[in-house]
Amino acid sequence: MRCGSLRRWPMPDWQKVVREQLAGSKAGHQEQEEAAVVAELADHLEETFESFCREGMSEQEATCRALAQVTDWNALRRKIRIARKKEDNMEPRVTRFWLPGLLGFALAMILEVVSYRFDSHPLVLSLDRGTPILRFHISWIFALLLVGAIAAYLSRRAGGTLRTSLLSSIFPALPFAAVFLVAIPGLVVGHPIAYGIVAETILYMVLGWVLAPAIALLTGGLFVQRFLSGGSRSSHGVNAGAA
Amino acid sequence: MIGAGIKRGTAELAILSVLEGGSLHGYEIAHRIERQTRGKLRFTLASLYPLLYRMENKGLVRGAWEVSGNGRRRRCYRLTPAGRKKLAPLRQEWSELFHALRQLAKVADA
Repeated sequence: MRCGSLRRWPMPDWQKVVREQLAGSKAGHQEQEEAAVVAELADHLEETFESFCREGMSEQEATCRALAQVTDWNALRRKIRIARKKEDNMEPRVTRFWLPGLLGFALAMILEVVSYRFDSHPLVLSLDRGTPILRFHISWIFALLLVGAIAAYLSRRAGGTLRTSLLSSIFPALPFAAVFLVAIPGLVVGHPIAYGIVAETILYMVLGWVLAPAIALLTGGLFVQRFLSGGSRSSHGVNAGAA
Repeated sequence: MIGAGIKRGTAELAILSVLEGGSLHGYEIAHRIERQTRGKLRFTLASLYPLLYRMENKGLVRGAWEVSGNGRRRRCYRLTPAGRKKLAPLRQEWSELFHALRQLAKVADA
């Protein structure tokens, strides 16, 4: 910002100066955060200005010297945004989505192995000719209720929104969805095979590895949501009553 | 030319060091660093605040609005336990680096 663009002397409105330079249309808490940054930087400029004045500079000179601390406001705005953004976006995303989701996935896989070993009565889905294509462990599906609930709880505990926590609860089904709905169809397209059988197989696979687990995981997640929102509603009621 | 990583490292050490004595607001941090280093290290508004916000995000310092004696509202920064914990090894690291550089300079002079 050029010093000459400040027409009025003496001391400028520093908050206005900084706000104009760092301007951006923000909403909600972003606006509040930006206002806090503006107030802080304006405060710094004001202190610098006053210090120069105490050293005997004229107000015009002090203003110019204070403003000379920032040669590129756009670069400063960018740097501040990056410095403040990291925690806002990166860390919570890890703790609210990735960690609960990956933990859920690991748990789901462990429970699948356990079910495979100990559940001696799996449902077996077969094609028309009797070829078994899917062993379906009901005990695993029930265990996934718990997995979905744990993932959703961890996500909510880390401050996750309803959407994030439900996404993290169904996370274990997502890699299978990618495999059966995208990767395998992509691989078989163009090959001289019986598409009817492949489609039927994929349908069963999707049912057993994606849909049924996702429904179980989501049910577990929704149960936690209901439980937690019920708890918070009752605690709000207590506060209101106390007030 | 001093690399950005080294510059940032020294700047972080400087800020953590001056905050060791108690909470300070941004202008005071810059002023105290300049005074204590006899003008060798200087922070402008443009160099100080992005670094302070980054350090705050890393959990090394915590900023909070406070009202000073003259009724002025200022955002003051103080060391967090993580920042305090980081200070000693950081000092050691830089001390070793400067010692190594001095040794190197001696060898070059000899």
